[in-house]
Amino acid sequence: MSEAEVRAKRWENTKLSLSVFFANKAAVVGLVIVMIYVVIGVIDEVYPPLIGITSAGTLVPNFFNPAPSPPSLAHLFGTTYPGVDLFSSIIKAIRIDLAYSLLVVAIGAAVGSVIGVISATVGGLMDEIVMRITDIFFSIPYLVLALAVGFILGRNLLNMSLALAIVWWPLYARYTRSQTLSTKEFTFVEAAKASGVSRLKIMFKHILPNTLPPVFIQVSLDLGSIMVIFSTLAFIGFITNASIPELGYLTSLGLSYVQTAPWAVIFPGVAITLFALAVNLMGDGLRDVIDPRRRS
Amino acid sequence: MRLWVYVLRRLLLLIPTLIGLTFIVFILSHVSGTNIILSEYINPRLTGAARELVVQKLTNELHLNQPIYIQYFYWIYQVLQGNWGVTNTPIFSGQVTTAITLFFPNTIMLSVVASILIWVIGVPLGVYSAVNRDSPGDHTLRIGSFTLYAMPVYLIGVVLIILVGVYLKVLPFSGVVNPVLVSNLSWYVNGISYPTHIILIDAIIHGDGAVAWDAFLHLILPSVTLALAIVASMIRILRSSMLEVLDQDYIRLARSKGTPEQAVINLHARKNALLPVVTLFGATVAGLLGGVVVVETIFDYPGIGYWTTQALLVSDVGGIMASALLFGLILVFANLIVDLVYAFIDPRIRY
Repeated sequence: MSEAEVRAKRWENTKLSLSVFFANKAAVVGLVIVMIYVVIGVIDEVYPPLIGITSAGTLVPNFFNPAPSPPSLAHLFGTTYPGVDLFSSIIKAIRIDLAYSLLVVAIGAAVGSVIGVISATVGGLMDEIVMRITDIFFSIPYLVLALAVGFILGRNLLNMSLALAIVWWPLYARYTRSQTLSTKEFTFVEAAKASGVSRLKIMFKHILPNTLPPVFIQVSLDLGSIMVIFSTLAFIGFITNASIPELGYLTSLGLSYVQTAPWAVIFPGVAITLFALAVNLMGDGLRDVIDPRRRS
Repeated sequence: MRLWVYVLRRLLLLIPTLIGLTFIVFILSHVSGTNIILSEYINPRLTGAARELVVQKLTNELHLNQPIYIQYFYWIYQVLQGNWGVTNTPIFSGQVTTAITLFFPNTIMLSVVASILIWVIGVPLGVYSAVNRDSPGDHTLRIGSFTLYAMPVYLIGVVLIILVGVYLKVLPFSGVVNPVLVSNLSWYVNGISYPTHIILIDAIIHGDGAVAWDAFLHLILPSVTLALAIVASMIRILRSSMLEVLDQDYIRLARSKGTPEQAVINLHARKNALLPVVTLFGATVAGLLGGVVVVETIFDYPGIGYWTTQALLVSDVGGIMASALLFGLILVFANLIVDLVYAFIDPRIRY
């Protein structure tokens, strides 16, 4: 096949994948919602006044009128204790939740995939030990482990992400390991081995590029669940600084007013759910593209 | 591989897991430093030379001046002796083991009721969804379970509180019992009921119908919240495994020889589709243990999870590490049971 033919073939494949993805309406809706969240997060980071946000990193309390007030024109989603405007706070919180969830996923995936690949390529005793270690990590409920690790590191946003990454890497290590094991069996790896390519080169040049893309897609689809757990940690008391806009923390602010001001807990909670739901819907569509067997 | 070889291998694998688990908890509780560990034992008002004296004495007693790997063996020895340290939280101060005997029964009660609900709701809905594939009912169920799956546990709890507790005003949503009802009882002292510490069962033992009914009402919302948090994944997995089974050759054979559809589903398909669900039981236990932390906190339900979050808020290292160890041990043994049960019912797993 000539260069041009290969390129044409690739383009055909991409077109097919795209058409499969876009045929799934739910997945497209998911993609659009995720994009909206990402755009909100990016604008918050780069130029917050564009969407009318001032003081992007903190909540703005109003101690003259601390009780939650219902949604109105001035406060689109109402306010929560202590007089914090919910709409702008949720917008600010999206940036923080997205950024720290991404951090969890990035650290967890980096550590997990490196360990997974090494474990699968080296094999033998090393592999057995790594698998036992991941077993041990799976033997503590993740929320409790994250709670214990985060508590030791100190309660703040960065340590919350570190704790979650420490809890999460074994999952990615397992996943990368199984991907690598199946990649190792392909004929092109055999061919490389037969022609005397060094072990290290096989690992980095032949196995890794074919292992990592599916792993990274899987990992990015975890973003929804990670954000939910991140907000759960914040909800049960991981945030000690009272002015941090975070969706779980915003929900916990309204919790004592649940009888008189349901909007104070509903809106931040829905903001989290909508994102997790959108990521999952998008993930279903993406998995159909990657794994054609599931399509039927 | 013979069954007993598999069982033996699985039991041997338990040893490194238990060592690893205890080691993680040990490292976590000791990395925080001597001062934090000792602060649990020392009266905060003690200062100066007197405090130094107590610190010296405790350091020797707890072997905190030894190298850390030797401390681990002392620590394991203490844990096996039933000395899990000390906890100081607003809801309980004293020995960790005492705290566990007080709070753990409530958590067991909540988890048992929730798991019954999960199976009662999850299995029929999952089977229905697979059998009536692509029907309006299936679509509704799939959208419902998808949404539920994406919801944080606390949001499920809060929505239930708002709907059932605040608007309909039919169910209580805080604590385990109405304090007015138990203000003058011989078997309920300082918020602790005797002898089992589960107020619903204690009320039944003492034949107090009104308290038992009230305790039952208090249990409904927490357990429904916990069940809803987990049932969504149960329905999804059961649906897909049922669909896979329905596509197997032996189902086609049963159908083609004229077995009634009801018998095909009840006798041939459902049992096989439940196999992955048995494995899921391990995951359910993990979900329950994580879920109780949040659910108990929202509903002020005095269990291990509520104690853990209280410990977090007052930086009580004893409470947090004890619950990590306890939850870890439960999950390790739950997974062991799942693996063994699975090996017994499915001969394929052993090879």
